[in-house]
Amino acid sequence: MSDNNLVLEASGLHKSFKDLHAVKGVSFHIATGETYGLLGPNGAGKTTTISMVTGLLERDGGEVVVDGREISTTSTEAKRAIGYVPQDIAIYPDLTARENLSFFGRLYGMSAKPLRGRVDEVLDIIGLSDRADDRSEEFSGGMKRRLNIGIGLLHGPRLLMLDEPTVGVDPQSRNAILESVERLSVEGMAVLYTTHYMEEAERLCDRVGIIDEGEIKAEGTRAELVSMVGQRDKVRLSATGHLDAAVEAVRAIPGVHDASTREDGIDLLVDGADRALPSILQAVAAAETSVSSVAVDEPNLEAVFLHLTGKALRD
Amino acid sequence: MKKVLAIGWVNIVRFMRERANLFFVFAFPLLLILLLGAMYGGGFDTKVGVLVEGPGGPLADRLVAAVEDLDETTVVAYDSEPSLIDAVQRGRADGGLVIPSGYDAALVEGGRAEVTFIGRPADQTAQLLQVSVSEVLAAELAPVRAARFAEVETGDSFDALLARARVVVPQSERVSVSYREAGEPIFEGIEELGAFDLGASQQLVLFMFLTSLAGSAALIQSRRLGVTRRMLSTPSSTLVIVGGEATGRFAVAIIQGVYIMVGTLLIFGVNWGSPLGAIAVLIMFSLVGAGAAMLMGALFHNDQQAGGLGVLIALGLGALGGSMVPIEIFPDNIQTVAKFTPHSWAIDAFAELVRRDGSIVDILPQLGVLAAFAAVMLLLATWRLQRVLTR
Repeated sequence: MSDNNLVLEASGLHKSFKDLHAVKGVSFHIATGETYGLLGPNGAGKTTTISMVTGLLERDGGEVVVDGREISTTSTEAKRAIGYVPQDIAIYPDLTARENLSFFGRLYGMSAKPLRGRVDEVLDIIGLSDRADDRSEEFSGGMKRRLNIGIGLLHGPRLLMLDEPTVGVDPQSRNAILESVERLSVEGMAVLYTTHYMEEAERLCDRVGIIDEGEIKAEGTRAELVSMVGQRDKVRLSATGHLDAAVEAVRAIPGVHDASTREDGIDLLVDGADRALPSILQAVAAAETSVSSVAVDEPNLEAVFLHLTGKALRD
Repeated sequence: MKKVLAIGWVNIVRFMRERANLFFVFAFPLLLILLLGAMYGGGFDTKVGVLVEGPGGPLADRLVAAVEDLDETTVVAYDSEPSLIDAVQRGRADGGLVIPSGYDAALVEGGRAEVTFIGRPADQTAQLLQVSVSEVLAAELAPVRAARFAEVETGDSFDALLARARVVVPQSERVSVSYREAGEPIFEGIEELGAFDLGASQQLVLFMFLTSLAGSAALIQSRRLGVTRRMLSTPSSTLVIVGGEATGRFAVAIIQGVYIMVGTLLIFGVNWGSPLGAIAVLIMFSLVGAGAAMLMGALFHNDQQAGGLGVLIALGLGALGGSMVPIEIFPDNIQTVAKFTPHSWAIDAFAELVRRDGSIVDILPQLGVLAAFAAVMLLLATWRLQRVLTR
């Protein structure tokens, strides 16, 4: 990846609050069109990190460059490239959705006419066009979340930072939010997404940084992270026939690390189940064993997190 | 500047959407000024209810006319004693005078007539009025007595003798107590003030500051909602954000100030002195209010706590600064302490404009002190808000 493609470069970030060393040397980068996830439990340092990257929080050490400009609490120009969606819903409840959007649009320096058009566009994107002139205090939690995100999108930033945007959201609104983020990424926006939901990180993020106790423990694509910790796919075959013969046959297939029988079938540990599965099924059939169902459990980021930190994501 | 105005405008919109704010900013101050003017103002006539029982007569009519001739006194006629007593009880009349049937005949023929004065218990106005009415009655009776004496001595016509006595014993020859002033007046120029003039500027200052401090709660709400912090994530500096929030509070204060000023001018005829000077004081005091609100909003984390404390601070500083009782009646050491309140400087500026016919040049020192108050508080608020939001 060439450096001029990078939208965000954060290196060696440190932050302490009195005796608590909340962030310890966090570094990562995000390229155009890339969605980068910071995955970690509550209190891992995600919000502190994103606050420093946004220039909202003074850092004790490290450097943040967004779109080629250094970010600090006093820099203003560099912030034009950033759209920030805080974890807590930060809108005026006594203003309408349109008024909230227009207000923040003016703070981003947008002039009146383009702003009016853009507000309508964003209302459409977040699905609030029909409630544009209702006060946001009358909205459901999901609608408020969508408005919260809409404000971050308003000025068409190069980098969108979303801090746990789906906390406390109903499944329908959550799905709508995730779809919006996927669409923005496809359109070329760089996205920094913090979450403690493994499923969201797996679905949205091109690369994930696993953060715990203020440190990035590991970073990479989902596949890289999974392979990093040596986890294998579990394949469960429901089968009848000569199970012992079938086990002997599949053990000879490259990628199959272990195979054993159980009462109603065979359990296997496999590297790359998707590649090995045709050969496995062929070998089992040759051993005069018939398969009625196949279940594959791929290792996930939850397992990676558990492997790296010794605790579950929701601990 | 556009961003500052945008933040300020949102503050005004949010403030005006709260109905309670509208009452306390626009209705309440005028009501209070009206109430205080009615209670303590000197511009109202004393109302005397008069009941002339029976057919009356020229002497009864003269007595009523003489009462009406008293300074700042209006006579209201009643046709029955119960209605007169009711008017006094309800405060519609400050005192009541009952002239009995046969008053004229008793005076002419040397009989007895009992004039009754009705007043509320422990009412100083009624007591003073009763003294004045007694003086009037004595003055009216003096020529009558002289005429009756002459009638007995000479046997001439009573009416002719009474006319003669009124010439010989004019009212100006009555023994009177003269009043001489000693020392400086406590309230310089107060004799020129209308009923509402003194209280209006005090109430203006009190309410502008009270409203401003109440506005600090909105800043804390904005912080608690995370909106202020989110503003900082936009290309807007802390100075712009503080400037915008302060502009909102300044605008609310000055809207209220102009409203009270124009409202009291049109409704109660309040004299605010030189318009240029009055507007300058208004602007400077609005800046002070905005600075104080910003500082409160930056120092406190709980809007209810700040709201309650804001009212206490506003009332305390108002009382000390002369918004409730004129500062001139305070002891010297309290007057010195009062100089540390912006209220005393604003009220002093208005006093210069209204009581001493001062111009904007005459109040430059007061304006300078108010500007310093505003600058210090805005700077402290900016520093504090930057720390609170980014550390």
